[in-house]
Amino acid sequence: MKFWKKAEKRKKPSRFRVIKEIEDIIKLKRHKHHPIIHQIHYTHKISRKTLFYMKEYGPKSHVSSVILKESVKILILASIISSIGGVNIQNIQSNLLTIIPLLILLPALNNLIGGFGAIVSSKFTVLLYLGKVGKWWKSKEVHELFVTIIVIAFISSIFLGILSYGFSLIRGFAFDAGIFFKVLSIAVFSTLILVIIIFFVSVITGYYVYKKQEDPSNFLIPIATSFSDLGSMALFSVLVALMF
Amino acid sequence: MIRKDFREILSAELISVIGGLAAGLLLAFATNQIELIPGLLILLPGFLEMRGNISGSLSARLSSGLIVGAIKPEVANQRIVKGNVTASIILSVFLSLLLGVVAFFSIFLFFQIINYKIIFIALIAGVLSNLIEIPLTIITVFWLFSHGHDPNNIMGPYVTTTGDIISVVSLLVAMVVI
Repeated sequence: MKFWKKAEKRKKPSRFRVIKEIEDIIKLKRHKHHPIIHQIHYTHKISRKTLFYMKEYGPKSHVSSVILKESVKILILASIISSIGGVNIQNIQSNLLTIIPLLILLPALNNLIGGFGAIVSSKFTVLLYLGKVGKWWKSKEVHELFVTIIVIAFISSIFLGILSYGFSLIRGFAFDAGIFFKVLSIAVFSTLILVIIIFFVSVITGYYVYKKQEDPSNFLIPIATSFSDLGSMALFSVLVALMF
Repeated sequence: MIRKDFREILSAELISVIGGLAAGLLLAFATNQIELIPGLLILLPGFLEMRGNISGSLSARLSSGLIVGAIKPEVANQRIVKGNVTASIILSVFLSLLLGVVAFFSIFLFFQIINYKIIFIALIAGVLSNLIEIPLTIITVFWLFSHGHDPNNIMGPYVTTTGDIISVVSLLVAMVVI
């Protein structure tokens, strides 16, 4: 019988024991995943989130050091990846500065594709945990998620293309049907191509990580967002160079 | 369920698109300055990303703290809030400097241009955007929580949208100062 089932059968613990066990959690080294957390969760019905928060930011931890240690590596990596994307953009500077809708489109396109990366990763992770993905290529839920994401990507990219051109008119850029359709095509193609790639990268990586019995949440979102940042800048600059 | 997902994802994406477009429009009004400072476009994606990453994580940590009851929704002298603010400030100064240095070496490597100004622009813009973004994030998270909302559902698109606009304004101000 698992330890938490044994714990559930025990009689209600005294207030003293609850405090004692919580103090044990606070004393734990932050990077250790100790079974006492699960035991206290099942015995005292305290949520895992609360216990995790106590372990991470308890009175004995130095809050800012914990945050710095945990986030600095991934943020450095994200900054370097984004700067590589920036080099691609610098290469098409003259096009961006003369065709204003492209300059207006750029930050919004980055946001849009990054948003899809995060959404696909978190949704697929939830499906894995709920046991709704047997073989991902046969899963009804994965098919539905794909269709939903593609339809939303298409609608959002058309909205983005039209608005970026509309906003450029405020800046004094003259209307030209040819440039308008090129800008719209860049918005739609960049979004759809990258969303499809990110979807399959997230699903295949997530499936593989889950089969290895590790938590996909720790890998998928950083992979998907970094991939979408670099990919959106690179594809955008290639399409601009080809079309203009 | 699909319809609910569809509605929620679409509205979140459209909000973040509008924030990005507003940032793009601000950039469009500064094309002359962008042309004058080589390397600014190398800096731009990383700078926009950094604001979202730091403030997004800050809002997520504060939301968790509020939900588990470790933080009170008031701007008082609280250990966890102070630790979060300190870490966010240190991270943003460090990453602004890193982005500036990476942009400096990239323009030297790929375009054979030496432009020290890009490092100072990144640093000034990073500090300036934080002076606005960090208090704004904390106040909004506390306000949302004390009015019965779950900040986790709202802060994502909010941070992206405000972060983009504030970052671009800070970059433009830093360009003028330098």
